[in-house]
This record gives sequence, C-alpha cells and structure tokens, in this order.
Amino acid sequence: MTQSPLLKVRDLTTSFFTSRGEVQAVRGVDFDIHAGEVLGIVGESGSGKSITCMSVLRLLKNNGRTIKGTAHFEGRDLLELSELEMRRLRGNDVAMIFQDPMTSLNPTLTVGEQIIETIIAHKNISRSAARERVVELFELVKIPEAASRLGAYPHEFSGGMRQRVMIAMALSCDPKLLIADEPTTALDVTIQRQILLLLKEIQSRLGMAIILITHDLGVIAEVTDRILVMYGGTAMETANVHHLFDKPMHPYTQGLLASVPNVNNIDGEKLKPIPGSPPDMLRPPKGCPFMPRCDKAMEICVTTGAPEFEIDDAQSHKSRCWLHHPDAPQQKGDAA
Amino acid sequence: MTAKTLVQVKDLKKHFKVSSGFLGRDPKYLKAVDGVDLEIKQGETLGLVGESGCGKSTLARTIIRLYQPTSGDINFDGTNISDADEKALKPFRQRMQMIFQDPYASLNGRMTVRDLIAEPLEIAGIGDRNAQTERVDELLEIVGLNKDHANRFAHEFSGGQRQRIGIARAIALNPELVICDEPISALDVSIQAQIVNMLQELQQTLGLTYLFITHDLSMVRHISDRIGVMYLGKIVELADNDALYDSPKHPYTRALLSSIPIADPQERDRQIEEMQGEIPSPIDMPSGCRFRTRCPLATDKCAAEEPDLKEVAKGHFAACHFVEP
Repeated sequence: MTQSPLLKVRDLTTSFFTSRGEVQAVRGVDFDIHAGEVLGIVGESGSGKSITCMSVLRLLKNNGRTIKGTAHFEGRDLLELSELEMRRLRGNDVAMIFQDPMTSLNPTLTVGEQIIETIIAHKNISRSAARERVVELFELVKIPEAASRLGAYPHEFSGGMRQRVMIAMALSCDPKLLIADEPTTALDVTIQRQILLLLKEIQSRLGMAIILITHDLGVIAEVTDRILVMYGGTAMETANVHHLFDKPMHPYTQGLLASVPNVNNIDGEKLKPIPGSPPDMLRPPKGCPFMPRCDKAMEICVTTGAPEFEIDDAQSHKSRCWLHHPDAPQQKGDAA
Repeated sequence: MTAKTLVQVKDLKKHFKVSSGFLGRDPKYLKAVDGVDLEIKQGETLGLVGESGCGKSTLARTIIRLYQPTSGDINFDGTNISDADEKALKPFRQRMQMIFQDPYASLNGRMTVRDLIAEPLEIAGIGDRNAQTERVDELLEIVGLNKDHANRFAHEFSGGQRQRIGIARAIALNPELVICDEPISALDVSIQAQIVNMLQELQQTLGLTYLFITHDLSMVRHISDRIGVMYLGKIVELADNDALYDSPKHPYTRALLSSIPIADPQERDRQIEEMQGEIPSPIDMPSGCRFRTRCPLATDKCAAEEPDLKEVAKGHFAACHFVEP
C-alpha cells in the first residue's frame, strides 16, 4: 500500500489511575487504517480495544490518561490538537457509535431535534436544510416513514431502530472514519444481521473507513477487511481477514478461534478452551501478556514481550510472538 | 431414544397482567408463554432458543415452578406439579435447580464461597456441619476450584470462576433437572468453552438433564441433543439438533439460522434469508400465526388460523401452514 494511512497510531499507551493503582489498559499499540477500509478490532473484555479508540478520540474519563504515543489523522497528531480543534474533528471527520444507543441519546429531546442540532453545530446550513438532511439520513438507514419519525423520542424506538438513529447521527456530517464500538452486541441476531448489512451497504456507498470493535468473531468475519487482535492492552496480531482466519499465527488467536464452535461444522468434538483467565491489568505480566495461559510459552516470554514480526507482507500479516523469531525452536503441528 | 420422560408440559400458559384497564374492564395481559407442549427426556440437553422477549426464560422458570402457571400441566417424573403448593413442591425443589446468566448478580457478595455453596445444603437440611464442610470441599473440586477459595468472597473471583461457584450451588443437592439460563452469555469467549466443557462433563458423571436457554445459536448446536425454537410465547419448531440446522422447516427458524454471523470469511457471500421488521409486542399479538407479520410466505390463511405444532418428520415438529409432512 503506497497511499498514506487515514489514521496512523503508534506506541499508544493509556493508563487509568485508580485508588487501587495504575491500570495499564493500552500498552504500546500500533495500527493503521486506510481510507475506505473496514478494520475490525477483536478482543475480550479488558483487552483494551475500546480504550484504544477512546484514547485516539480523546474521550477518556477523568482518571484515564494517554501517557505516550501518536495518532495521526490525515497527517495531524490528534493527541496534540487543542480541545477546540478536537471538538471540531469529532462528529465531523470522525464519528462514533456505541453498544447501547439509549445511553448515547438524550431522552428529553426528539431524535430529529438532536440530529438537526448536531448538523447545525458542525455545518453552516439553515435549520430547514438540516431538517431535510435528517430525513435523507433516516431514509439512508432505512427507518420506515422517515419524515414522521423525526418527532419521536428515543424511547419510542426499538433497540434496532435506535441503533439506526445513532448511525444516521454519526453519518450526518459525512465522516471519513466511523468508529463502531460493539454496535450490535445488545441486539437480537436477526436485528444484528439487518444492522451489519446496513453498515456494509452504507460503507460501500459512502466509502468511509470503519473501525469495528467487537468480541464476536462471527461479526468480524462477516464485515471486515482487516483484523487487529488485542489481548492485555497489546496488539497481538494483525492481518487481512481471510488470511487471519486461514492461518492464525499467534497462539492467542489460534486459541480464540479454536474455542468457539462453528455452527456449520459440528463434529461432536469437545471445545478447546484457553485455560486460565485474562490478566489483571493492575499487575500485568512482565513479559508477554498471554504467557501465563500459553502452552507454547518459552523462557523469554516470561521476561520480555515479543516485538512485532512480519509474517506475510502481501497480507499485511504481523504477529507479536517470540515463536516467529528466526531462531525459535520449531513447533510441532504448527500448520494449524 | 427410549429414555424416560423426565418433564412433560401440556398447553402451558403464563400470562402477566400489565394493566387493569378502566375500572377493571378490558385488562391487558402479556402472554409470555402461550400454550407450550414439551417433553424433556432424562439425560438429554434440550436447547431453547429465540429472540429476547420470546418467553424462553419464563417458560423455564414456570416449568420449575418459580412462577405459578396461568393454565396447563407440568408433569415432573410422573407427578403433576402445576398446582402444587409450596409444601408439596418442597421435595421437587431439590430435584430441579438453576444456573443463572449473570455470575455477578446471582451471588451474595457478603457471603464467603463456602457459605454460598453450603446454603442449599443448609436449606434442605442435609448433613451436619462437618458433612457439609466435606461436601463443599468436594463440590469445589468438582467445579475446578480448590479449598483455598472457600473463605474468599465472590467479588475476588473472575466471571468464569464465579460461574463455577454458581454451578457448584446448583449441583449441591444432586438435582436431576438443571435449567441453564444463558450460563455463558456474560463470559469472555475464551472462558465460555471452559464452562461448556465442564457442564458437559458434569452431565456425564452426574446424569443431569439440561434445559439450556441461550441466544447463541452456534453454542446451542454444540451442546444440545434437541432444540426448541420459540417465537412470541410458542414453540414454532422442535427437532434433533442436526435435523434443525440441516433442514429447518419453519420460516422463522430458517431466517434465524441464516442470521448467525459465521466466524469464517469464506462464508460471507452465502445466501441469506433476511427477515424484515422486528418482533411484535407480546401484549398485542397478531391474529392467527404470530410470525405472519415478518414472514415472507404469509397469506390470508395465516391471519385467520393459527397453525398447530405438528410432526413433519420423525421427531421433527413445526407450526406452519406451509410445512407438509
């Protein structure tokens, strides 16, 4: 890829300072996303996937602080912008949708009012033009009887429709990047399908880039171009989606894929869980965060986290595991 | 399968009154469970799936008499318990237990793990203090925890470990039927498999029968022998798990199964039966077939007549006018 990335994040490090100590939520994450690309960030709770994006948008709660790193969006480091510049950028160039739309909408205003407000705040257009734009957006996200639903309050919508309202709001200023944090997790599977198809359709029509944060490997496999696997605040592996599911290289990714049943391929075999539980980020392991649960762990993994090894340049496949070191002992049955 | 029938449910209904109407006229009911026939065989895992609000949890809780049914019969091991009072139910309570979804909310934070697991033994009046201590130690080992954990509090444990404590409580009295109500939904992906494997091992060693409620359609296929699909208070399809997934008969089941996101990008371009619209309110249900408002096949007949759940292949039941045997 010769084009420079839309968002380029390097060595992003974020901690929360709590009464119990420093929680190292994000520990030196690097990733790129290009214009028009759909990047999936997958990880379990506490892996740092949401905090990574909140850090980039500078939406951390009071006790959270990004300690170091850079996040260049179209060449400008977001972590260096003034609060005013940042506010202009959020909602304009970068928009975000969340898991639970009810908590992100104002329950005391009609949905039309809220989106009209957003548009007027960001774009220099009249109220009636903004109103027309909202009707257009509601049609785009397939809210039935769009014009008459403008006057409804958030609680009058179902969960799926509310998420459509959030998507309409996020799209209102033509963002170049949409960050969707578990957008379908609270929805039923048939509604999830509708929302995922909608996101895909809108993405191909408007051509924006999307970062989709989820714990659901199925959702990731359905809609993304490239995947970043996070664990213990660290980016463990990244690759083109097809390549990652075909040839996962990191022991954590391999374990994660092996622990979910495939609905089409039931052989009555037992699931292969990953033993143990995720690390406590108050006291993260010194070396590789996955080391305590890894059946391939070596001496070095205890003391030193692995650097990023290039696996396959054409598939932009990189993995952070000492096993990929040229001098590492060969693993038996590594073809998995 | 010739296994004996442990639970038999006939035309079971559970309606909740949601408003009395003006001067008590025209009261409104939420028909959470609205005429369910079901058998659970000894030693099997019966999966129960459906979207939120379809009544699957209410059905399970009514079967074990946490709710008083509005009408219908529940037979547990040959005894009709649908109208039994608390006293008559007591011997049955030990034989039916439940594992809950949220291991954070379902354990009392002021009790030690030992007290939590001993509580069912105490309530049932089983054994003296020493015998209970021994039993708790044994249970801890069964669920993969150890004695050192006994004197700690629930909040000191991870979600997966808490669910193990919940399971230890549920099996403490050697139950026959265990209702698993979304037992893994709140857990991380890598932990879910640990708990599912443990539930399967316990079923083998203790001869448990599971009614397994979930919205995870991949996991339910993995764990169940038979699966029932619920929609708005009724079972619309019931079959052996492979039969259900390989040849689903009801249009709702077909749409539901094809909505499952598949963790394999090769499958992306498969044919998908997308379902329009959303689930109607269980207070104001459509006439005739309840699925007709979202069904691609619906005709006038579906609005007029409610289809029965009929056997369309051996052991395979579906409630749709368009499914022929």
